[in-house]
Amino acid sequence: MNVHVRSLVLAVVVVSTVLALTTFAIWFERKFAGRMQSRLGPTRVGPVGLLQPVADAFKLMQKESIRPANADWALFNLAPLLAAVCALGAAAVVPLAPGLAAADVDLGVLFVLAIGAVTVLPVFIAGWSSNNKFALLGGMRAIAQSISYEVPLLLAALVPIILSGSMNLSEIVRQQAEGHWIAVWPFFLGIPAFAIFLLAMLAESNRIPFDIPEAESELVAGVTTEYTGMKFALFYLAEYAHTLIASALGAALFLGGWDGPFGPGLHWLLLKTFVLFGSVYWVRWTLLRFRSDQLLRICWTWLVPAGVVLVMGAGAWVAWGPLP
Amino acid sequence: MQVQTITRRVDPHLAIDLYDPEAELLLLHFGPQHPSTHGVFRMDLYLDGEIVVKVVPYVGYLHRAVEKLCEKLTYAQITPVVDKNDYVAPMTNEQAINMAFEALLGIEVPRRARWIRTIFAEMQRIASHLLWLGTFALDMGGALGGGSTVFLHCFRERELILDLFEDVTGARFHYNTHTVGGNRHDIPAGWSAKVKAALDVIASRLPEYASMTLENRIFIERTRGVGILDGELALELGVTGPILRASGVDHDLRRDAPFHAYDEVKVNVVTRSAGDCLARAQVRLGEIEESIRLVRAMIDGIPEGIINAGRPIKQPAQFKIPAGQVYVGIETPRGELGTYVIADGTANAHRLKIRPPSLHALSALPHILPGATVSDAVVILGSLDPIMGEADR
Amino acid sequence: MAVTRRTVDDGSAFEHPLYKTLLNTPGLSVSVAPLDDLLTWGLTNSLWVFPMATSCCGIELMAAAAGRVDLDRMGTIVRGTPRQADVMVVAGTITVKMAPRVKLLWDQMPEPKWCIAMGSCAISGDFYRELYSVVPGVDTFLPVDVYVPGCPPNPEALMHGLLRLQEKVQLQRQGQKVVRDPNPALLAITKPSVPRLCDADRTAEMDAAQEESAATSTASEPRAPLHFDTPAAQAVDPDLQRLFAENGVKDFPREGPALVPAAQHLALARKLKAQGFRQLVSIVASHWPAGRGRKGADAEEPEHFEVAYLVRSVGSGTRVATWAVRLAPGESIASLVPVYAGADWQEREQYDLVGVPFADHPDLRRLMMAENYSGHPLRRDFAADTAAAPWR
Repeated sequence: MNVHVRSLVLAVVVVSTVLALTTFAIWFERKFAGRMQSRLGPTRVGPVGLLQPVADAFKLMQKESIRPANADWALFNLAPLLAAVCALGAAAVVPLAPGLAAADVDLGVLFVLAIGAVTVLPVFIAGWSSNNKFALLGGMRAIAQSISYEVPLLLAALVPIILSGSMNLSEIVRQQAEGHWIAVWPFFLGIPAFAIFLLAMLAESNRIPFDIPEAESELVAGVTTEYTGMKFALFYLAEYAHTLIASALGAALFLGGWDGPFGPGLHWLLLKTFVLFGSVYWVRWTLLRFRSDQLLRICWTWLVPAGVVLVMGAGAWVAWGPLP
Repeated sequence: MQVQTITRRVDPHLAIDLYDPEAELLLLHFGPQHPSTHGVFRMDLYLDGEIVVKVVPYVGYLHRAVEKLCEKLTYAQITPVVDKNDYVAPMTNEQAINMAFEALLGIEVPRRARWIRTIFAEMQRIASHLLWLGTFALDMGGALGGGSTVFLHCFRERELILDLFEDVTGARFHYNTHTVGGNRHDIPAGWSAKVKAALDVIASRLPEYASMTLENRIFIERTRGVGILDGELALELGVTGPILRASGVDHDLRRDAPFHAYDEVKVNVVTRSAGDCLARAQVRLGEIEESIRLVRAMIDGIPEGIINAGRPIKQPAQFKIPAGQVYVGIETPRGELGTYVIADGTANAHRLKIRPPSLHALSALPHILPGATVSDAVVILGSLDPIMGEADR
Repeated sequence: MAVTRRTVDDGSAFEHPLYKTLLNTPGLSVSVAPLDDLLTWGLTNSLWVFPMATSCCGIELMAAAAGRVDLDRMGTIVRGTPRQADVMVVAGTITVKMAPRVKLLWDQMPEPKWCIAMGSCAISGDFYRELYSVVPGVDTFLPVDVYVPGCPPNPEALMHGLLRLQEKVQLQRQGQKVVRDPNPALLAITKPSVPRLCDADRTAEMDAAQEESAATSTASEPRAPLHFDTPAAQAVDPDLQRLFAENGVKDFPREGPALVPAAQHLALARKLKAQGFRQLVSIVASHWPAGRGRKGADAEEPEHFEVAYLVRSVGSGTRVATWAVRLAPGESIASLVPVYAGADWQEREQYDLVGVPFADHPDLRRLMMAENYSGHPLRRDFAADTAAAPWR
């Protein structure tokens, strides 16, 4: 098969999978939150409320598109698009099953982290171009937060890269086959790195306790305050897709990706992704929110030094440690 | 972190030019419709980055002209109107206003009615503080996060108390159950058992709330040392209730100037000295426990007798109060709710002033907000527990 | 409730531009019907609420989102920003000062949008409707779709209102208009079908005992004296009497607070504060038209104002000290802000509502009414049933 056709088909498959999973994830989260709060969550639309996100999407599609007076229309319209593209773009290199990734590139991890770093851009563009002070404050907070948490995220991701000696995600997963997950051995490097990765991931995808750019009790709806209809839907989608892909990435980097008992497969990756995703929402619906200065203090005084130590540890393990 | 009570006075009237000669401040209109303003309260925040430099509060967006309405209505018609003032603890409004009329008329309320009023007041305190805890967590955790979990759990327990009141009065709130001289509704048979069952549920779940709030590291970090109000300033401002007690002033009208049947029970006053948002939360949660204790102690000992002195339940719609003036203050969940009545011998009051604890609490904002961040501003406002229906009247 | 469905083609039905485009595209108009159903299904099942919650009904709106009723079951979530909401639930009294903000927020909501008036205040203004500061119903300036009556309505009632709105949205999309016939069965229900618990447990003997006690005496068992802070009590309280006498007050009338000359009142406040009355309780200004005095009708009294000050001592054995200052119309009184910081807002409120000027107040603006309001509504000559200008 022509390599371009193959890539195109795979891209369509991956993007539609991610979109379908995101829809499911939104339903999952609403039911999950409902149960945590001793209520039911959606029940009336579709079986057990499964079609609720679909109904929301059709509703949002029909809403009027409003651009506030004096908003920068080009940037205002660009931001949601960019947010969705960034979130979905990262999915390209996530290895779903052996030999199944939209783009099996050698610098996969670098690509994901680079895309992740770009996601702050649409958030800030939205905050700046909305001509709304709440949105602007949200954008300012997002910049401070994302730039800080980029560092521990990178450091944590470096540990599996050093241990497996590759930046290709499929290769990293392949090396973890048959239970040699990085979180299992060497656990004294894998588990702390995984923890830092999870924390930084929460911060990168603006989830509680690090959701200060959104902070709806302070900033109404943060950067998305002025967005209506489909543009808001894109932000909403991007937010969930981002969390989902970050979960998948965590599963691939630390938990062996598609590997599992009774043979490898896509189902193992999905299971791990949703366990991680669920834990993100478990944290979200349990904890309160940090203040921005506390957030930055945690990053620079705890996570970054710990990440540096782990990276040095990983280097030492590869140089002098026993055979993997 | 060492907690210190500092005495810092800022001048709330200083012109903004004097704070910042270059005037590079961001003016943020916060409210009147904002998820965290607890109703329709507005404050203009002058921000330097995220730091609040000056705050100008505005009230009156819910000014419903209650005092004018009270001049127009007869005394017996006033009770259902004042119900709507403090809509989180409506019964305390009824009690405050009827006690003022009783004082002017010289009516002694029967002992059974006083006990029932005490129990109602304490149950209102539990319900009100639960709602406060929920909304306070909402301010800190957001509607899409852990805050809303605390919030919905608190509402679950609050419904238990509303059900009990519904049993007695037929209404979830706005009960109209107190009249001049006593109560309108006697408590039904088997009610005390239901009360005890509900209190057992609430008491068993209090540790759960504490684990999500008072014992939670994030909650402590967000509230400790934030919004410190010094006790002397609080007194001058007329701030009362849990906020005053959290600032180290041991003052509770239930114990110091007993009304209802508080002279027959021992009220343990919960105080803290830090004066910050954490102390206010601790005082309020402590008061829930104390109220549960009080209701449990009193529910079986309600004396037999009539529930309304002077007049039967079928009360005439009009009565006259002789010329005179009176001030009655009672301790509600938010502090001292006072009623000042000027009667001129007719069936209508000449002037009726309601002293709202929330308005006095809000007046502390210009003194304690400067220096905090926007995030803290939300927390500080929430810790004052303002009810705008009462503040604006 | 019976709903009569009639097709009324008055152009009021909502049509989305997408729908129109498809309808006008050759070859695609066939596919519009199922698509239209899909879009209607989306609109009906995802009504996001913007809570225009001002007062008591707002608490029930929150209770409706909580576990017992749970609006999320039908896909209704609460959004803090009007831009992402479909239904504005006006829950609570809307005042004249608030109404422009409500209109602004309504205008900020994207089409298609609906409005629910929750509670009697939002529907009609309730018993506040003729007063100077309250809007008699939000339908005077908003197109209300569903009215949920009650004071406040139960959460279940709000749920019912939202279900009715879903029905209405569907009919609107079909180009129909909802005309509701009154249901005689519902109208017949004027009393609760089950006896109320308080009625069930009352016996004739209890009523009789109550009537009898009412006829004979009001005295029950002896108890500690109540701490009502009447001026009469103040007049007989030796401690307070001594305090006031030390501070130059000699006359203690029983029908009102001791009157202090305007010149001495600031000094008196300072002394009282030094002697333990550290808490400012309240400031009450009252207006007395000509012919009205403290003892009722009094032909000799000219028009005047009285400002009463209440301060409290703290802790065990707390008591309130009260004094009043009598002012002629137009006369001002020294502000208490230098002594009690809390006098700031209190004096602003009394200046706003009663119109007593306070000299040397640092920031004497209106507190409750809008700053461009003229008049002082708590004066006795201000008619109680004068609604605000546009709604009169």
